[in-house]
Amino acid sequence: MTTAVAPPLLEDTQLGPKAGGFYRYQNIWTGLGFGIFLGFVAWLVSHATVQGSNWGTDMVVTCTMVAWVVGFNIGMGTFNAPIHWILGHDQTHEDELYAAGVGQGSSRYLKFCTDHKVVGTQYLVLVMVLFGVGGTLAMMIRTQLITPHSSFLDPQTYNAIVTIHGMVMIIATIIMVSGPFANFIMPIMIGAKDMAFPRLNAMSFWVVVSAVPCLLATFFLGGVNAGWTTYAPLSVQAPAAMDAFAMTIITFVVSVTVAGVNTIVTVVTMRAKGMTMGRLPIFTWGTVVGGALGLYAMPAFLAVMTMMITDRATGTSFFVPEVGGSQWLYENIFWIMGHPEVYVILLPPVAAVLEIASTFARKPVFGYKVAIAGFVAIAALSIMVWAHHMFTTGWAPNLAAPFMLTTELISIPTGIIFLCTIGTLWKGSIWTRLPMWFVYLFVWNFIIGGVTGIYLSDVPADQFFHGDMFVTAHFHYTLLGGAMIGATAAVCYWFPKVSGRMLNERVGKVAFWMIAIGIQVTYFGQFWEGFQGMARRIAYYNPHYETANQMSTAGAYLLMAGWLVFLYMMINGWRHGKIAPANPWHAKTLEWKVPTPVPLENFLVDPVVTSDPYTYGEGVPDGQEVPESAPAPEPELVPAGSAPGDQIDAGGAS
Amino acid sequence: MSFTETDHGSEGHGAHGHGAAVPGAENPGGEHETAFKRDQKERLMLWLLIGGDGLFLVLELFTWFYLRALNTSGLWNGAKCSKANPCTDGLGNPINGPIQKADPKHAIIIAACTVIAAGFVWIAESAARRDAGKRAVSTAAGVGFLFLLVALGWQIYQFQVLPFTTIDGAYASTYEFFMGSTLAHLILLGFIMLGLWIRASKGRYAGATWYRVRLIRFFAVWIAVSTVILVAVGALFY
Repeated sequence: MTTAVAPPLLEDTQLGPKAGGFYRYQNIWTGLGFGIFLGFVAWLVSHATVQGSNWGTDMVVTCTMVAWVVGFNIGMGTFNAPIHWILGHDQTHEDELYAAGVGQGSSRYLKFCTDHKVVGTQYLVLVMVLFGVGGTLAMMIRTQLITPHSSFLDPQTYNAIVTIHGMVMIIATIIMVSGPFANFIMPIMIGAKDMAFPRLNAMSFWVVVSAVPCLLATFFLGGVNAGWTTYAPLSVQAPAAMDAFAMTIITFVVSVTVAGVNTIVTVVTMRAKGMTMGRLPIFTWGTVVGGALGLYAMPAFLAVMTMMITDRATGTSFFVPEVGGSQWLYENIFWIMGHPEVYVILLPPVAAVLEIASTFARKPVFGYKVAIAGFVAIAALSIMVWAHHMFTTGWAPNLAAPFMLTTELISIPTGIIFLCTIGTLWKGSIWTRLPMWFVYLFVWNFIIGGVTGIYLSDVPADQFFHGDMFVTAHFHYTLLGGAMIGATAAVCYWFPKVSGRMLNERVGKVAFWMIAIGIQVTYFGQFWEGFQGMARRIAYYNPHYETANQMSTAGAYLLMAGWLVFLYMMINGWRHGKIAPANPWHAKTLEWKVPTPVPLENFLVDPVVTSDPYTYGEGVPDGQEVPESAPAPEPELVPAGSAPGDQIDAGGAS
Repeated sequence: MSFTETDHGSEGHGAHGHGAAVPGAENPGGEHETAFKRDQKERLMLWLLIGGDGLFLVLELFTWFYLRALNTSGLWNGAKCSKANPCTDGLGNPINGPIQKADPKHAIIIAACTVIAAGFVWIAESAARRDAGKRAVSTAAGVGFLFLLVALGWQIYQFQVLPFTTIDGAYASTYEFFMGSTLAHLILLGFIMLGLWIRASKGRYAGATWYRVRLIRFFAVWIAVSTVILVAVGALFY
């Protein structure tokens, strides 16, 4: 046992009146103000200079959006440190502490704050807001489809809503785990004091915030009615909203790239002593592989959207066949990004599910190394499957069989990871708390989403299903039923560490059943629509499909109500929940060994890891009861600085 | 997971200035990590970013060769008149005529200046590594920055003297995409090299902190390599 005197908490440091420099005066309001100001100036200037040209409106919208993004981030303080660096100045120790939020209370959540826990919390709130927007749009879609010829929305508006629903949800699901939990939890899990690059971490958050108004602005610029894939030539012909849409993506790509690099560097270089790669919690592996895959996928997204914007705003012809371009070029590059992106979404929540299953089954992750190999195999294969999205387009028919094969191959590592989840639960003494309910739901949904995906990888079957509601049901089972439910399990699991309070599980179970039933009713309804042959993205439909649509819409209302109950549970838990102990689940990973609330730089004294992450039941002689294999009583609230398991004599050195 | 705790277990983890300053760190006031730790982190970050940028470069080349191979309606480099700038045969069909190839001279000058700029960053690094004094480092960095400014200015100038515009078919579009991409990279490198020059003039890269100049050299060399690749493809595969 090592003994040491615990140093004082950093957040108790008294900062001088000049600490932080410009950061003192910058927050979300200066960001908004400066962004709007610069955007307005850009609009005025571009309107005066290029509006009369062939592509004037597109150029004006593009310039305005670029200026908004840059201005917002100048106002937030994103560029303070790089400018200081160029000018040869350095931030002082006090500046660093100020930027980390010391002495600012809750106002640091509205500022450019470098503390990874603040950034994680900011991401969590942003994800909830995005899901709120995307969910509301989904309800508008389902409301329109409740009758065959509803007048709730006109077809143009309906298509615009379908597009933005898709993109809001894509953005939200990409960051729903890698934003909140890879930021808040992962550094603590590996024994680090923060992310490798705290300023880049804060930057990744505020850059994505600046993308959101661009996306929502599309509704006021004529709407993007091309579907979330925004295929050319629809996107080339779309109103000026398409420019704002493309700027959203370009901005988002910057954020995801920076965040992915930061995650990888953190895990590779910031691990505590003794935290070998073989001892990394499985969740960490999921975030690293997901981040690496994002790093591969995002340049394609950037390239295709840049070409799209230049086609629209400067008259290039990448995707215009009449002038030498090709829409297949768009589809190829888009799906080179598009399919790996599904696994960027999926891998972190799946890893979180494995983490949670291990904790509540009181067993190590079954096939830990095989699961890691599965993550890597999925990442590798996912970059070789993109053309299965183009089976019906007529592009390279000779390649259909090879792409069918690679797509079907990817079901093998996916199945292995699924088996690892089942194996972890198998014969475990399962403590069924709220996170576990969502793990069960994940298992159920993911098997349905996965199996229906195999049908779609098959060329003959895809000829029938392509572009119909079967596909919609499949990817909602995978991304909502699988990834989002996995993320929900993660929220329930880590909420006590993030907020310092417990969730009300009784309310949580009500939400759980509403969500669980809602998903099945909604998407079985859509499978039914698909089997009948109903196409996607249509505002009016043949009365033949009415019953299936009504079933789906009824399920959607139940699902939305379930999410609202869940949201109520979270907000109520955050404000009035029982104070959480440092380790309510008796888990083994490091994030549960630090006090709650977690102090700045996480560890009062640096940890040295001496064993694997899942040592449940070890060290107990044969025949004796394993103390941690059964539901354990909740421990007493532990004062900050002396979490259970701390082998430290805070009273003085001995 | 078992662990013990030590107050000296993982030096260099400090993110917000916890603990005493570490000798060898460039910034004694702010972050307190060992030079080794910072170098390790920043190098890995840079290689990952270069990897991502490399993929972007591959996609640019893919676009070039894909459109060139398709040559849709003979409009790879034959769209003197385009739909966007109508000039038709009366039936609505564009009158095709090969557009003039971009003069490779300009692109070669830009690439050469970028390569020379990267070379001077390398000289600056070697001066910092030898601890040759702030004057040697800042002079090399300054000269490198000037060459980069020439490359940047010439790239803007090239837009003015091209024998085609963006609307003249796939070749014109892709060639200008290459130029735009090069311009963006040069601007980014320009900011970094300006910082290098200013900081070198203030003696920030003396002795143990030479590795930070190496980091900039990695990036400058990558930009030079990618510029040369784009120039070569643009010149050789009309």
